[in-house]
Amino acid sequence: MKPAARAILAALALIGPLFAAGCAADDTSPAPPDQTDTFTFAISGDPSSLNPINTGDRWGLTTTNVVYSPLARVEADGTVRNELAESIEPAADGRSVTVKLKPDVVWSDGEPLTAADVVFTYTNKAVKDNGNADLLWIGDQPITATAVDALTVRFDLPEASAAALSNIATETYIIPQHIYGDVTDFSGAELEPLALGSGPYKLVEYQRGEYLRFEANELYYGGAPAIQHLVFRIVPNADSVKTALQTGEVDGASVSPSQVADLAGAPVDIHSYAQGRVGYLGVIEPRVPDLALRQALFFALDREEINLAAYLDPAYFENAYSILPPGNPYATTDLERYDQDVERARTLLAAAGLNPTLVLAYAASNAAQATQATIIQQQGAAAGITIELSALDGTALYEEVEKGADAPFDLFLGGYIMGIDPDAYSLLFRTAASANFFSYSNPVVDALFDQGLVELDDARRETIYGDIQRAIAGDAIFYPILDSFDNLAINQRVGGVAQAKLIPVYHFEDWSKFTLA
Amino acid sequence: MLVYVARRLAQVVPLLAVVTLAVFFALRLAPYDFVDSITTPNMTAEHVAIVRSRYGLDDPAWLQYLRWLGRVVQGDLGYSLASQHSIAADLAQRLPNTIVLVLPAYLTALILAIALGLVAAARHGRPLDRLIDTIGAVGIAMPPFWFALLLIYLFGYFLGLFPIIGMHTVGDRGLPDLLRHLFLPYLVLVVAFFPDLTRYVRSSAISQLDEDYVTVQRAFGASDAQLFRRHVSRNVLLPVVTQIGLALPMLVTGAVITETVFSWPGVGTYFLQGARALDYPVILAVLLLSATLVMVGNLLADVLYVVVDPRVRLGKTAT
Repeated sequence: MKPAARAILAALALIGPLFAAGCAADDTSPAPPDQTDTFTFAISGDPSSLNPINTGDRWGLTTTNVVYSPLARVEADGTVRNELAESIEPAADGRSVTVKLKPDVVWSDGEPLTAADVVFTYTNKAVKDNGNADLLWIGDQPITATAVDALTVRFDLPEASAAALSNIATETYIIPQHIYGDVTDFSGAELEPLALGSGPYKLVEYQRGEYLRFEANELYYGGAPAIQHLVFRIVPNADSVKTALQTGEVDGASVSPSQVADLAGAPVDIHSYAQGRVGYLGVIEPRVPDLALRQALFFALDREEINLAAYLDPAYFENAYSILPPGNPYATTDLERYDQDVERARTLLAAAGLNPTLVLAYAASNAAQATQATIIQQQGAAAGITIELSALDGTALYEEVEKGADAPFDLFLGGYIMGIDPDAYSLLFRTAASANFFSYSNPVVDALFDQGLVELDDARRETIYGDIQRAIAGDAIFYPILDSFDNLAINQRVGGVAQAKLIPVYHFEDWSKFTLA
Repeated sequence: MLVYVARRLAQVVPLLAVVTLAVFFALRLAPYDFVDSITTPNMTAEHVAIVRSRYGLDDPAWLQYLRWLGRVVQGDLGYSLASQHSIAADLAQRLPNTIVLVLPAYLTALILAIALGLVAAARHGRPLDRLIDTIGAVGIAMPPFWFALLLIYLFGYFLGLFPIIGMHTVGDRGLPDLLRHLFLPYLVLVVAFFPDLTRYVRSSAISQLDEDYVTVQRAFGASDAQLFRRHVSRNVLLPVVTQIGLALPMLVTGAVITETVFSWPGVGTYFLQGARALDYPVILAVLLLSATLVMVGNLLADVLYVVVDPRVRLGKTAT
């Protein structure tokens, strides 16, 4: 055989089986959904968990909210909206909550949803090894659920807790006992079968790395969805998402402020909403122990300018002044806001005889933070504070923060979404709390958090959490910058966005409300 | 030859052990682990400790590595920390997707490179040669992600001819739909692969032109066309075949960037997600596969060389 022929044969021998293997992936699958009756929403990655007992990531929670339902949810303004629950009655002593379920709610397989399902769900969620039990424990004891009758559940608290009273009925998505009753370990990321709930859609197909496909649940208690098919398309690259929105290949996605301008002329409307997030400049207290220096730094800054540089337009953010996001019902504006006052900053520095240099760390992959850091550096310099910038991996930054006084920087940019109940913020500001990145300790604040947790009167709670916000602002370890909005681009052929209601994390409260033109 | 192949394969095992050990401990140099990458401020310290313990990340590093190695030698690649899904099952699903993309692109690039390389060598120093050389230089200098975005803009957005996301339209697994999704990433990879190969073929062909047999053929009055068709092209193909062997690992990790831009559900996007989250079983599994293919590819290149050129004997090179 001639060398050339041998070469070709040898190459074919090598690659032939591989190509055959590749083509063999073309298996059979269900008929394609009608694209004119499909709402396609782009998500940036696979959900980390599809198990409602332990899911906590954005896409896992979004998917859970499509397939399952909670007893109730807390709206952005703090009001409670009942879902599976018909009524939620906290006891006067704050030690129990009685929940009555709506009658005639059924699972997507037609079985009735009862108190036994609720008890089953809460009992498994309260198991610490299942990975998401924090909200169902008070101190070292769990909250217990008991079925009073077929449609009534009573939750007993080991001790009075205002936070638990407001949390107990929310954020827990009920799973069916008749389907998952034999599951012995709920710590995994997937259940078998993958999903069966009482939400607006049924999950019918999950192609990892590609998409999740849902079909309308005709038995949904909120009314059958108008759109028959819903698809979550997994698109990791933000530029591809933008073009897919322009071409109509996807109908909706979360986009950045800079992409909003690029989408002008595309057949999409932009819906911006507050995420209940606080983006902040944090100070590691042991590294900057001088209160005058911290205050001088805060007075040197202009948060409006920082925000405009990073988020381009006031339509995409709201200035924040407190540890609570601006829309939180407990947030107060009656505190030291540190509005820019460069003269005062200089006076504070001069009085203390300081000529400081501080190191500011931020997440290198976060374009908004990179811009914010640069502006903060300029504003600091104008007041006589030299700020050096240090770009780190986002996760590595938080690892370094935990070193406290030994951290390789003094200041850092961060952000959190902690929810409505103000007690959740104690995880950030109580002495030695798990997310106290500032190594902050103020016994007065600790005592106030203790009081707020057990105070059942709402007006008195508001006063306590107002005092907490003022005390933390006075200590100048935390400079709130903004609540950055999530911007959803939705194709104009999709209607019902207002009815579906934009909410933090889950994107939409009720996915059944969309319509297609 | 069988003895030689067996000996080379035996060398693969300790080499893989060294590669995985190096990668595992390089991952440990990162200042955080997988659990840190999923921790949010509203998790209590106890919660984080439970999660870390569940994944065995609170054990000493050497114990984690040995546990992983113990499973791998039994053929079990383990589970992704992030999805808790079987890595072997994930790879079985994603590897064919990557092969479907990379293989046709590589073959096209190869054929294109042989044609252009020979033409450039035949016109060495003339305008056509310089044109091909310039095209190659532009191709090498152009980042694939940038070219991909250009194609997406032109063919996906401006002309609206091709879909830009994924491998299939949802629910449609047919071949025409696959080909429509394949075209743009395929084009990106062809442009990414062919310049290097073209330069390789061109320089091989030019070096052949200095050989005595070319002078002899010319002395006998052979035309350029006859010379290239009958003699030079055959000798140039010999080193090209070895290139095919060396390209084997590209079938796993040859399209990481392109896959990400086009949301192609292949090994590249899987690896990237794993790397971002420090999901070490995923990273190790993909690198294990890739390293194996590098070694097997080298071996294949050697073996193929013997197959296509009977003058070479492995026994002589094996020592």
